[in-house]
Amino acid sequence: MRLSPTKRVLVNLVALVYIVVLVFPVVLMFLNAIRTEAEIIQFPVALPHVVTTENFVEIFRESSFMDNLWNSFSVSALTVCLTIIVAAPAGYAMSRFRFRGKRLFSAWLLATQAFPGIIMVLGVFMLFRTYGLLNTRLGLVIMHTSFSVPFSVWLLKGYFDGIPAALEEAAMIDGCTHLAALVRIILPLSVPGLLAVATFSFLLSWNEFFFSLVINRAERLLTLPVFLSRFLGVGGMVRWGPLSAAALLATIPALVLFMLGQRYLVSGLTGGAIK
Amino acid sequence: MSEYGMRRVGEGRQAIPFLLPTILIMCAINLYPFINGMVRSLHSFRIMSQEFTYTGLRNFRLLLQDELFWRAFLNSMTWVATCISAQFVLSFVLALVLNSRELIARRVVRTLALIPWAMPPVVVALTWRYMLADRGPLNALLGVLGVANPPSWLLDPSVALWACILVTVWMNIPFMTVMLLAGLQSVERSLYEAAAIDGANFLQTTLRVTLPAIKKVALVVVTLMSIWTFNMFDIVFVLTNGGPGNASITLPLFAYQNAFFYYQMGYAAAVGIVMMACLLLLIVFYIRQVLE
Repeated sequence: MRLSPTKRVLVNLVALVYIVVLVFPVVLMFLNAIRTEAEIIQFPVALPHVVTTENFVEIFRESSFMDNLWNSFSVSALTVCLTIIVAAPAGYAMSRFRFRGKRLFSAWLLATQAFPGIIMVLGVFMLFRTYGLLNTRLGLVIMHTSFSVPFSVWLLKGYFDGIPAALEEAAMIDGCTHLAALVRIILPLSVPGLLAVATFSFLLSWNEFFFSLVINRAERLLTLPVFLSRFLGVGGMVRWGPLSAAALLATIPALVLFMLGQRYLVSGLTGGAIK
Repeated sequence: MSEYGMRRVGEGRQAIPFLLPTILIMCAINLYPFINGMVRSLHSFRIMSQEFTYTGLRNFRLLLQDELFWRAFLNSMTWVATCISAQFVLSFVLALVLNSRELIARRVVRTLALIPWAMPPVVVALTWRYMLADRGPLNALLGVLGVANPPSWLLDPSVALWACILVTVWMNIPFMTVMLLAGLQSVERSLYEAAAIDGANFLQTTLRVTLPAIKKVALVVVTLMSIWTFNMFDIVFVLTNGGPGNASITLPLFAYQNAFFYYQMGYAAAVGIVMMACLLLLIVFYIRQVLE
């Protein structure tokens, strides 16, 4: 195809507009983390005149931020582990076994992604109250795992489908069980798929808001999104400096993980899950 | 692809232990709460006695007479329809740009364009609460551009819902773009070459070649995003909390307020059931598309 200069300019111009619109608000917000409250109010769009660290000092000293950061991190990390432990065998069964109700099971997994949270949340609340899981990390981990498992099973099934069965067959002739075949042969070959699941489930847990808001009321056990939402007082007065500092620190881990894992996540999304 | 799997002889009973952890956790945190919610929708919660009493379809009858429910319902419909169509157009253009051979520094552009996707939705909502504040950055910029009376985005009842839509579109563009881009990348170059030889212009090529070629991916992603957008809670909750004066209330928020401020759990569950009914066709369509 011929390359026309007008087209070249147009394409890059449009790209530039998109980038500005998609990135500029984020930069502005996060600049507030190092600006003073007076400056933020007086100059909405400006670089900091004075760089300050007082916002960070304040959230570390005067709020439960450290606890919430650690809480979010541990819940997300445990959700990743539990998701893989639960979803990998199911993905394997979906890929390798023939069983009755397979279509129904697949349909159920897909349908769960569409259930309105409000129907579920009351039941989860009652269940957790009965078993003493309200205001516990374990409760959050189990809940987040149940959200990430359906998609993860689906994604891993797609990934396992691409691995020739001949490898396991050879091993099984030597007396290897299905479980051993999964752990020793399939999983080591599925590292990109597992990374996709890890990225997906970590971000899901890290970002999840609605259920965490309802299930968890103890201040020290709040996850970061709920902690952040509490900055908005009833009167509508918001102190943007400390809030931006906290929001920045809550976003960095997600952003870093996303940048590292996006390659796997995107190929997992477009390959296995949505064909 | 699954031909590999079919040939293997793992059968029936052997699959059970592999499926069991998934089935257990999904029954506990998905199936049980779902059934529980359905049953709740036929009950009313009495705060005095802290008990649920069976009231049949009363919640649904009350719902039909509740003006606020209808406002939330209409808002939700506007919200989904506008979000999805705007997202689709904007994401499609961005995907075309990212797929173009003429784009400079494609990897950098692509990575930067994904940033909103990587942010926690609550942070997205907070960012825009700042951007859209009365004397915030957006209105300051509009002022510089000579707009005399920029709207009071989050405080004007006629604008608030549109502000929520704007933010949701902004947040969801990256995901949809990635999906459409994957579709575009799988279209064979020869199709475009054939179109070029026939003298088709850009618009003709887009409508007759590109869109039909990515139809399947586009349908699945539009369906999925419609469902997610319909159920979305965090953006509106943080941005306007349904206000001012319930102007931007959507169904999830309406249900949440009923459940946790007025303790009308049965009523809230009924809202959930109505939402589920609205989604049913989309869900069936989505499952069929993916399982096909």
